[in-house]
Amino acid sequence: MSIKDKVPVTILTGFLGSGKTTLLNRILSEEHGKRIAVIENEYGEVGIDQGLVINADEEVFEMSNGCICCTVRGDLIRVLGNLMKRRDKFDYVLVETTGLADPGPVAQTFFMDEEISSEFTLDGIVTLVDAAHIDQQLGRSDESSEQVAFADVLVLNKTDLVSVDALDNLESRLRDMNRMTRIIRAENAKVPIETVLNLSAFDLDQILKRRPTFLEPEYPFEWTGVYDLDAGKYELMLEEGPDPEMSLVALVNQGESEEELKDGAESSVRLYAEKANTLEPGNTIPYGEHINLKLEDKGNKSFILNIEKPSKIGLFTQHTAEEFNMKVIKSEENNSKEMPFITERFWQAEHEHDDEVGSIAIERFGDVDPEKLNTWMGRLLSEKGVDIFRTKGFISYSGNPRRIVFQGVHMLFTAQPDKEWGNEPRRNQLVFIGRNLNEKEMQEGFDTCLI
Amino acid sequence: MPDIEPFTPRGMFHEGWTAEVNDYAIACGWALKGKQFIVGDVAGGLFAFEGDTGKIIWKKENTHSGGLLAMAIHPDGKIFATSGQDGNVQICNCHEGKVIKTLDLGRGWVEHLKWSNDGFFLAIASSKKVYVFNEVGEEKWISEDHPSTVSAITWSNKNELATACYGRVTFFDILNNKTNQKLEWQGSLVSMELSPDGDIVACGSQDNSVHFWRRSTGMDAEMTGYPGKPSHLSFDDSGKLLATSGSERITVWSFIGNGPEGTMPGELCHHTEPISSLAFSNKGMLVASGSRDGSVVASFLKKDGNGDPVGAAFAGDLVGALSWRPDDCALAAVNAKGVVNVWEFKVRTNFFSKGFK
Repeated sequence: MSIKDKVPVTILTGFLGSGKTTLLNRILSEEHGKRIAVIENEYGEVGIDQGLVINADEEVFEMSNGCICCTVRGDLIRVLGNLMKRRDKFDYVLVETTGLADPGPVAQTFFMDEEISSEFTLDGIVTLVDAAHIDQQLGRSDESSEQVAFADVLVLNKTDLVSVDALDNLESRLRDMNRMTRIIRAENAKVPIETVLNLSAFDLDQILKRRPTFLEPEYPFEWTGVYDLDAGKYELMLEEGPDPEMSLVALVNQGESEEELKDGAESSVRLYAEKANTLEPGNTIPYGEHINLKLEDKGNKSFILNIEKPSKIGLFTQHTAEEFNMKVIKSEENNSKEMPFITERFWQAEHEHDDEVGSIAIERFGDVDPEKLNTWMGRLLSEKGVDIFRTKGFISYSGNPRRIVFQGVHMLFTAQPDKEWGNEPRRNQLVFIGRNLNEKEMQEGFDTCLI
Repeated sequence: MPDIEPFTPRGMFHEGWTAEVNDYAIACGWALKGKQFIVGDVAGGLFAFEGDTGKIIWKKENTHSGGLLAMAIHPDGKIFATSGQDGNVQICNCHEGKVIKTLDLGRGWVEHLKWSNDGFFLAIASSKKVYVFNEVGEEKWISEDHPSTVSAITWSNKNELATACYGRVTFFDILNNKTNQKLEWQGSLVSMELSPDGDIVACGSQDNSVHFWRRSTGMDAEMTGYPGKPSHLSFDDSGKLLATSGSERITVWSFIGNGPEGTMPGELCHHTEPISSLAFSNKGMLVASGSRDGSVVASFLKKDGNGDPVGAAFAGDLVGALSWRPDDCALAAVNAKGVVNVWEFKVRTNFFSKGFK
């Protein structure tokens, strides 16, 4: 049976109160033409009976060999084993786990049990987090950080209860923990259905077609402010700060919605990749260029912003505005007025984080020696498999014209050849999400496999 | 004449009858001493056919809302029980399919039903509990909660019931409400069969092994190396051979002598896809196997567990269940498309083998 004939399964995890039931009801009540069977571990109030809703107690079955990757969910095997006899009645399965569920055994069930894997395919793991409470939960329980670590999609729910600043910080914390995940902000679990169903998150071939990298970008800037400015001349004023210089990209017509900000960020990432032009104080800031503001002088420094017609200007700065007390000033003949930003956004910057759970990314150009890699990965997974929750990546094997894509859940691991490299530069990208992983050691380990 | 070998049994499936039910057929069995054949489908449809001709006698639909999970025909063949996702058990008569008694056990799925050999008791497993009722539907015993959902039940003697769940097999004296024995093993037991004398307990485990216990000696053994979880187990009527399968291959353990520990099992490789049903004949060493590919094979086994196929047929699709007629002269297979096939089964032997003629 090919993957297309298998019934896709989405796993919905998240703490009690994160909004799983709301999301479930939303999915079931929406007109999407799918017949969805729901397996519920949390006896919530699913008020809709149009789906095939089955209640089952979570049963985690460890094997006598004590191997963590053989641990499966007996309740799912039982219920799915029955459902597969009725597969003409539905074409999608949603599994809602309890807030305390470990996603590992749930995911492993779809790889370890032949009967299940011959009929079903794990489509993706969606984790809901309550934006107002996740900060405390992450500190208190392993389960909640594991649910974040396993997620293909993280729905940051109840955003209406939290300030934008707090959301940005939270998103950056979650992104540190899981750099493969897609983060979606939502109020009252309102997310487009296609962002949680049919993700093909375990079909790496598909994912790489949609997105050429597993990694969500790490931004070279920490802050964006959007200013709504009339035509005229403005000053960008900075006080003394932590650095004698700061990179900046200014964009015209920068929207203020999250989506527009992300688009702007994407453009800025590309501009940041170019060499910066140094700009001394007093000069005019060009738009759509990577520039480096010289801030060595004592006291206030100011740069010029020229606005030809009313426009929203986005400033993508290497450091936050606060660090330099950066202001946009409208200078008129007798008074000068500070122009407040209409929105600001913080981006993930590279910094030390306190969470035990985190992501490690290894990106290297060149080819690897398959044997050396096997040995290294084998040892890594046997020693650290318990702490490595998920792995994704692609590899360039020397002598192989095709890219090798692979993924793993704990020690379970699959690798398969994907498209040909063609003219693309050969490179390797591995992402590990786990607990207490030693980045330096892992990078060095990988480097020994390079040719 | 040295080149003449003993005349080995030859058997064949002869054309019998076919019929259809509405949905994926998951359970079947012979009633009224082989005069009737009852089939249950996953949607809760029940169908009774004339055993000889396949003519429909009665049918019922939607007997269990959410679907049917199990069916068991009483040893005297006059009544049968069904259970489903609705948490109900129905006891019906075979003649008309009329419900004699409905038992409401709550909201859990009722997944396993077993009549005791003398027919006095019906054991029922639903979630973590096991219930025993008598044949008129009066409650006789209820277990405490098991540590996990009960995965198999079977009677070890007329008053003693064995249950399997994650980590253990338990034997209950249901008349005196006593636990007679607990056999523990850290693993998820997915199937259980007892030898007819109740001494040998065999369980298939999720970790692709079969675990045995001998109750009389307390010895146990683990048979590993299965390519898949051994969901299908069947003992022959003498308790000497145990057929097991978790893949397209059938492994047969022989308990003759000191076996099966330290012996090589018999292997039957007749199917191209994993086994989906396995059933020894009521008498004798004849085992029928059905596969996901729709093939059905009957194999005649030797004492060491090896054997030869004596007949094969194609059931059309994944074999949901197999059932030998009480006289072993017919074999029924029901499939995932709801097709029922009954073949006359004839074996010629130069000796009068136990069980078939």
